[in-house]
Amino acid sequence: MALEQRTNGIKVQSEHNRDDDWSTLLLLVGSKRDRAAFERLFHHFAPLIKGFHYSRSHQAMSPEAADELVQEVMFRVWRKAPSFDARKASASTWIYTIMRNCRIDYLRRNSRHLTESDIEVDDIWDETPDSQPFAVLQQRRNERDIAEGLRNLPAEQSHVLEKAYMEGKSHSEISQELGLPLGTVKSRVRLALKKLQGALKRPE
Amino acid sequence: MIRHHPEKDMMLEYAAGTLPWALGLAVAAHLQLCPRCRQQHEQLNVIGGSLLQDSDCEQPDEGAFERLMKRIDRSAAESAPAEMKQSEANSRLPADPALVNLPRVIRKLVADNLPLKWQRVSPALKMTRLNTGQEQYEVAFHRIRRGGRTAEHDHRGQEVILVLHGRFSDADGVYVPGDFLVRRPGEIHRPIATEDQECLCFSVVEAPVAVTGVLGWLVNPFLSFRPG
Ligand SMILES: [Zn+2]
Repeated sequence: MALEQRTNGIKVQSEHNRDDDWSTLLLLVGSKRDRAAFERLFHHFAPLIKGFHYSRSHQAMSPEAADELVQEVMFRVWRKAPSFDARKASASTWIYTIMRNCRIDYLRRNSRHLTESDIEVDDIWDETPDSQPFAVLQQRRNERDIAEGLRNLPAEQSHVLEKAYMEGKSHSEISQELGLPLGTVKSRVRLALKKLQGALKRPE
Repeated sequence: MIRHHPEKDMMLEYAAGTLPWALGLAVAAHLQLCPRCRQQHEQLNVIGGSLLQDSDCEQPDEGAFERLMKRIDRSAAESAPAEMKQSEANSRLPADPALVNLPRVIRKLVADNLPLKWQRVSPALKMTRLNTGQEQYEVAFHRIRRGGRTAEHDHRGQEVILVLHGRFSDADGVYVPGDFLVRRPGEIHRPIATEDQECLCFSVVEAPVAVTGVLGWLVNPFLSFRPG
C-alpha cells in the first residue's frame, strides 16, 4: 500500500481506503451479523442502488420499483454476506452482481416467456468465487484502473456502456434507441472494453 | 485447449444481465470451463461496480431500513438448507459417460430434466430437448456417435453450440469441450464426430417453435422419429 501511495498520489489512495471500509463492514456483517455495520452499508449503498435505476439521468424503472429493488438487493446482501470474499471483489462490485441478479429476477417475474424450472438466476449468473482469486493488490489495482478508465472514456463509448449496464438494454435495443447500426454499437462497446482492459495489461 | 469463446459483446450483455436466459445458460457453462473468460467476466463485473459506485444518489423511501430489518428478523427463523438440494440432485444423475464431467449449471439442468428422452434424428445423431424455464429459445443436447456424420444443415435463427464431451469437426476446424460456437443463419455446416468417442453438445437456437422443424438440426427431409 505504501508503494502505491507514492506512485499513485493521495486521491487514489483515499478512494482505496473508502472501498476498504465498505469491505470491512461487509466482512463484519458476514462473520458477526453486525447490524450497525449493515446500517452503515445500507445508508451508503441504498441511495446508489436506487440512483442506478432511477435518477435524473437514468430511468430504467419507476421510483417505486427501484425502492422495491433496494429492499431485495440489501436483503440478499445481508443473507449472502458470509460468502463475500474481499480478495475477489470490492464491496461495490460484489453488490453490483447481487443487484444485477435481483433485476434479472424482477424482469423474469414480469415476463411472458416463463416456464416451470429449478434453474435459478444464481445458477446462471453464478459468482461463486474461483479457487484462485487474484492477489488482493492485483485485484484492487484492476478495480481502480477500470474505474479510472471508465471516467476517461469518450462520451459516446461510456454512454453505450451505461445504457447496457444501467438501463439494462441489449445492444440491439441501444441501436434502435440511438438510431445507430447494430455494428456501430458493438464496435463502440469493443473499443471501450479494449481501452479498459488495455489498461489492465500494462506491465507493473 | 479451448479456442472458441463468446464474443466480447455477448460477454458484456451477460455481465450486464441483459443476455436472454437461455444464452446466459450457455455462457455460464462456458465460464465454468474457461478460466480466461472467467477473468474477463470479473473485469466486466468491475465495470458494473464502478458504475454503481459513481451513480447519482437517490434517497430510498421513508422507513426503508426499518422495513428491511423487520423482513430480516422474520426470515431469520426459516433459513433453508439449499445445498442439500444440490447434492441430492447430483446423486440422481444417470450413469452416462457423456454426462460425467459437466459444468455445474448443466448438471443441475440435467437433474431438472430427468429422465432424459433421447430421440433418434438420424443414424448418427440423437437429441433431447431441455426445459430451462423459458420458451424463447430451443435448448437441447445433441449427441453424435463416434465417427458419425450429421446431415448438412442450415439455421433459420442464430445457434449457439457448446461442446461438452468428445470432439466434432466441420469444414472450419475441430472443436473440443468448452468450445463456444455461434452459427448464424446461412452458415451451412456439417458436424462430424471424431473416431475416438461420441460427442455431446449443448445447443441454444433462436427460433420460435415453428413450421417445418423445430431446430436447424432437424431441417432434413429424411429425418424420422422413433421413440426412445
Ligand atoms: Zn472462454
